[in-house]
Amino acid sequence: MIIRVRFTKLGYLKYLSHLDLVRLFTRSFSRSNVPVKYSEGFNPHPRFSIGNPLSLGIESQSEYMDVEMSEEIAPNEFMIMMNRVLPKDIQIIHADIIDDKESLSSIIKWSHYEIYLWIEDTKKRQEIKENLDRFTSLDQVMIKKKKKKGKRKIHVDVDIVPLIGNVTFKGEDQDGYVIITALLRSGESGNLKPIELVTALEDKTNSGINLEMTRIKRLDAFAETEGNIYRPL
Amino acid sequence: MINRYKLDSILMKVEKPARYIGMEQNVIIKDLEKTKVKFAFSFPDVYEVGMSHLGMHILYNLINNVEEYACERVFAPWVDMEDEIRNADLPLFTLENKEEVRNFDFLGFTLQYEMSYTNIINILDLSKIPVFSADRDEHHPLVIAGGPCAYNPEPLWEFIDLFVIGEGEEVTLELMDLYSKHKDGSYSREQFLIDAAMNIQGVYVPRFYDVSYNEDSTIENRKPLIDGIPEVIEKRMIRNLDTMFSPEKMLVPYMETIHDRISMELFRGCTHGCRFCQAGMIYRPIREKSVDRLLELAEKLVESTGYENISLSSLSSCDYSQLHLLISSLMDRFEDKKVGISLPSLRLDSVSIDILKEIEKVRKTGLTFAPEAGSQRLRDVINKGVDEEDLVNAVSYAFKEGWSKIKLYFMIGLPTETDDDVVGIKRLAYLVKDLFFNRPKEEKIGNFSVTASASCFVPKPFTPFQWHGQDTIEEFNRKIRLVRGEIKDNKVSFNYHDPRVSYLEAIVARGDRKVSQLLYRAWKNGCKFDGWSEHFKYDTYLNTLKEVGLDGTFYANRARNFEENLPWDFINPGPNKQYLINEYTKALKGETTRDCRLGCTGCGIKDCAMWGVFN
Repeated sequence: MIIRVRFTKLGYLKYLSHLDLVRLFTRSFSRSNVPVKYSEGFNPHPRFSIGNPLSLGIESQSEYMDVEMSEEIAPNEFMIMMNRVLPKDIQIIHADIIDDKESLSSIIKWSHYEIYLWIEDTKKRQEIKENLDRFTSLDQVMIKKKKKKGKRKIHVDVDIVPLIGNVTFKGEDQDGYVIITALLRSGESGNLKPIELVTALEDKTNSGINLEMTRIKRLDAFAETEGNIYRPL
Repeated sequence: MINRYKLDSILMKVEKPARYIGMEQNVIIKDLEKTKVKFAFSFPDVYEVGMSHLGMHILYNLINNVEEYACERVFAPWVDMEDEIRNADLPLFTLENKEEVRNFDFLGFTLQYEMSYTNIINILDLSKIPVFSADRDEHHPLVIAGGPCAYNPEPLWEFIDLFVIGEGEEVTLELMDLYSKHKDGSYSREQFLIDAAMNIQGVYVPRFYDVSYNEDSTIENRKPLIDGIPEVIEKRMIRNLDTMFSPEKMLVPYMETIHDRISMELFRGCTHGCRFCQAGMIYRPIREKSVDRLLELAEKLVESTGYENISLSSLSSCDYSQLHLLISSLMDRFEDKKVGISLPSLRLDSVSIDILKEIEKVRKTGLTFAPEAGSQRLRDVINKGVDEEDLVNAVSYAFKEGWSKIKLYFMIGLPTETDDDVVGIKRLAYLVKDLFFNRPKEEKIGNFSVTASASCFVPKPFTPFQWHGQDTIEEFNRKIRLVRGEIKDNKVSFNYHDPRVSYLEAIVARGDRKVSQLLYRAWKNGCKFDGWSEHFKYDTYLNTLKEVGLDGTFYANRARNFEENLPWDFINPGPNKQYLINEYTKALKGETTRDCRLGCTGCGIKDCAMWGVFN
């Protein structure tokens, strides 16, 4: 039996690396006494996988994980037992049994982000909406992406326009951050990091964005099969 | 609380930001407005090193168990983080409330290693607390320090307001209680320090003492400047380990640390009497926890942490009188929870390996033994009660049981050491190799390797070797080359510590008050993380020695005579000086001293708890 869950990663816990997160869940399965299936072998570990890992420093409202169970358990009970031992900023908010055998990482194709831009210059801050429109109407936006080729790191030129689903202006928060949302390709068959989008935006439009101050939150992730876009859970 | 936005933009830029966020499982975050005494506990190294230290987990929970007291943690920020917080002008903060360290009542350092001392100065500076005790006033935290290296507090005398000598569980709370009482009145820092120095055993306030020197730079005299404070500082020691505070929780880090497991203390003290070992002297007498108490603690610790391994840590864990009972009970109790047991140190005997076989049923990784010296003669000198036959038996047994990787620990520069003793390191490593390859073919299991590691001996205070002059760096290097040149087998490898680090460690460990200026100037000149080879700046230290007019060889290499007034002689660690002299004299003659479980060896410790337990 496989349980798929949606969980959060908020506050300071956005600074946990993917490996730290895997260790946290490994310990939490054991502490919570949920009947998780363990791998065979000398060094048994619980069988679970987290869909497209989040970069360090990005918060998330919706991360996804599949957990293989050794015996039947009601998803709700699983959620309650786990949340008792998980930290308050990493909590399971939804759990359900899934039938399909396809892994999360193979089905997740899109990530939806909320991006907080810091623009010091008031005039430029007012121009951001137009700059966004200008940016999203470009036919081609080339950026240099770091790739690993064997052991060497190389730079390749990539057009990111096909990797962008949409970019929307949302407004300003009380601290003066400009909020935008962006739906970006995510996963093995094409990936655009939100900071790469912001860097390209600043490159092409000269909007006065302080890249270091950018704050990012993942709102959700989406699967896509045959043109249908849907939440994995 | 520091500016969270500033912190946030900094954390995006540094490596391993999880070092600085706290929030771990079992963290205790109190409302600092409502706590009466705030204690910032500092292990002066990076997070993942400090979090592996059991003493921190004990004091953290001990203090936080008192409702009106709070204990928060602060570690040494790694160099990238230091640059960022200096640039942002952010004062150093604690992990729990992200509160500035300078707003705490106490800042307490644990002294585990001399090469972390420059980090202490750096932490004070990053906290915007004056680094010198004399420059602090009522607005600053009381800067205190304890731990094994506090047995020679003098090299830090200018930086630390108050030292506690010995075990900290009781004295820390006594200090906080006394402080709390003083806070109720019109608080004066000076009055508090005097009260503590006079009335709390184990407290040493260096500035209340004056030290005069002879013409040859040795110490002439040491006298209290205030009536009523003790001339000799008696160490603190917990009498009953079963009734003392033992943590039932441990903080569980998110990131990988050096020891990712439960650490459970079986006993304090050690009865072997190895003559090089400071811990073996200062933690006397031996005191054990009962099996019942340990099982109770284990249960609670497993429950509260979710760790899957319990490390039974003590100076020589295999000495625990009920080891078999303890291990079989633990294994029974945790069998279905997949909790493993591990022993950090092993004696060279088949009993130890038998136990190991039981607890490491699946993974047979490396085994480590510590013969410490390459020849029987020298092992007798240092009173390391193992012989070659023990090693042969233990290693043969280990090979039979499927282990194939052996590590051997040695020291070079021990008293009376000859080149033949040094070459003995190679002989023992080759012996281990032969023991493996001379086995019948079907019993050669695994991919064999043996590693001999040599550290450069640092004679420590309160050991029988405290009078011994350390080998010079040149002599260490010559001996290292000697061994290296003899080893010509790709199954046998040889590692060694940097003699330059050991030289500086000796200067500080054996130092007097003048060494504090060396530390201060070295820090000014950029030294920190001296225990990390990539940061150790030997040339800077050499130049700084010149700058402050100190002769390193006076501290490290000079043999001292029994009449000399040593910088740490005003502390009573338990065993008396005459015992150390007798032991050193016997050592030079190659005479051994028995394990004091087999009968008292007269170290002079008062009311030795051993009497009730083993005799």
